[in-house]
Amino acid sequence: MDLRELALVTFSILAQMSVGAFLVLGVVKYFVARKAGVEEADRMGDRSLIAIIIVLGLGMLASLLHLGSPLSAPRAVTNFATSWLSREILSGSIFIVLGALYAILQWFKLGPSVLRTVIGWLAALVGIVLVFCMAMVYMLPTQPAWNNLATPVSFFTTTLLLGALAMGAAFVANYAYIQKKNPGCADLQCQLLRSTLRWIAVFSVIMLGVEFVVTPVYLVSLATGVPQAVESAKLIAGPLGALFLIRMILAFVGAGVFGFFLYQNAQSAGREKLLGYMAYTAFVLVLAAEVLGRLVFYSSRVGITL
Amino acid sequence: MAKQLAFYFDASACTGCKACAIACKDRSSLPVGINWRKVYDYGGGGWNTDPTHPEIMIPNNVFVYSTSTACMHCENPSCVAACPAKAISKREDGVVLINANVCIGCRYCEWACPYGAPQFNTTLGVMTKCDFCQDLQAQGLNPACVDACPMRALGYGELDTLRQAHGTVNAIEPLPSADITHPAIVITPHKHSQPSGQGTGRIIKLEEV
Repeated sequence: MDLRELALVTFSILAQMSVGAFLVLGVVKYFVARKAGVEEADRMGDRSLIAIIIVLGLGMLASLLHLGSPLSAPRAVTNFATSWLSREILSGSIFIVLGALYAILQWFKLGPSVLRTVIGWLAALVGIVLVFCMAMVYMLPTQPAWNNLATPVSFFTTTLLLGALAMGAAFVANYAYIQKKNPGCADLQCQLLRSTLRWIAVFSVIMLGVEFVVTPVYLVSLATGVPQAVESAKLIAGPLGALFLIRMILAFVGAGVFGFFLYQNAQSAGREKLLGYMAYTAFVLVLAAEVLGRLVFYSSRVGITL
Repeated sequence: MAKQLAFYFDASACTGCKACAIACKDRSSLPVGINWRKVYDYGGGGWNTDPTHPEIMIPNNVFVYSTSTACMHCENPSCVAACPAKAISKREDGVVLINANVCIGCRYCEWACPYGAPQFNTTLGVMTKCDFCQDLQAQGLNPACVDACPMRALGYGELDTLRQAHGTVNAIEPLPSADITHPAIVITPHKHSQPSGQGTGRIIKLEEV
């Protein structure tokens, strides 16, 4: 594991987390606005927008560290006609610009609400394109460990699982802030928080289920694939086995066990503090799990090459 | 038909002396760790005990042959498509070149190439690879590797012409399948050469490559 791969792990996890968080935030705001009005939805979600943009910015900075000539990074977008890497950087740049624009317009309530909403959904769409491009970057015929349907599926699973739990933590933090600053509107926000956390918990358990189906199918397809794929499977079963196992356990405990507790404890009011700790813990555990999973992803590469 | 310059390699003549690799390294002053031309020794088989004389071992299909490789200046170069900065291009004569002034050193071409041709220069922070000795060719000279071979096992020329003269073999072990990038290489196989993907041996002494 060298600095270069750590840079790629950092970039890919942070970028997918911010896209996922942005998507989950969009969906949550849509339903909250229908239930309680746009104002409550904004109150609940807009502060986390800033965090999402900062996380993505940090991720893109980290990606510079894997370049031999970081100062030339802007040239990385020029070959979008054929290179998925160019498309990745291009869609990432558009996503951060649109996302930041949306965050600023929302923060200062500039322009008509419809326009802001359109920009928000446009950013979300570009975010989905970004994650798709990120997956396609690794779909190289020379890299059987990556050139697998499991790559796009698991990238999107990471995006949504990590995004959902990151937003869970963000909603909790936002609620604590509101409670301190403006206790008057905390009751409705408390209700919205609890129902949102319940949905996030259910969604996380479903995403965990997807991970637990995709992973064994992927391993079997490696083990029965070309010689280099078999070598990758041996790496995951052997030297990377401990990382792989810890990753699966952390994901199960974070999204599964804590997801279950989160759902249970969000049923009735009065346990907000406990709920907060659970949401934070679930997020941290799943973040660690996805980072380990990505380390395994990069380290298990055995290329068809001389 | 578009022109396509190609290397010719006679595996039946190659003795694995690596003079081509050294000439290449010398011509381009390549640093430690970077070798644009490499010679792989590929071998297999084993030994059996003679059933009537247990003290005697008899060879069982023991074989070894050498394969000299460099950038294949592929007809469908995956590095050119992969490069995000348009730093790699295919010239009109088919030669694939990296422009070091444009390369950003992301090393994505390294993942995309099945021949290990693009290699990262840590000092310069960019990728480098075989340029088919374009400077020598411009002076009417041969590539350094071709001239260095004591067995006359290396040649170069127009791909179609080479194919007419020597056939169409372009993938023997340990080279990967030619389907990925359509390499501009014509090979006369060694008598023990095995087609790519059907090898029974392995690269031996990889640390010497």
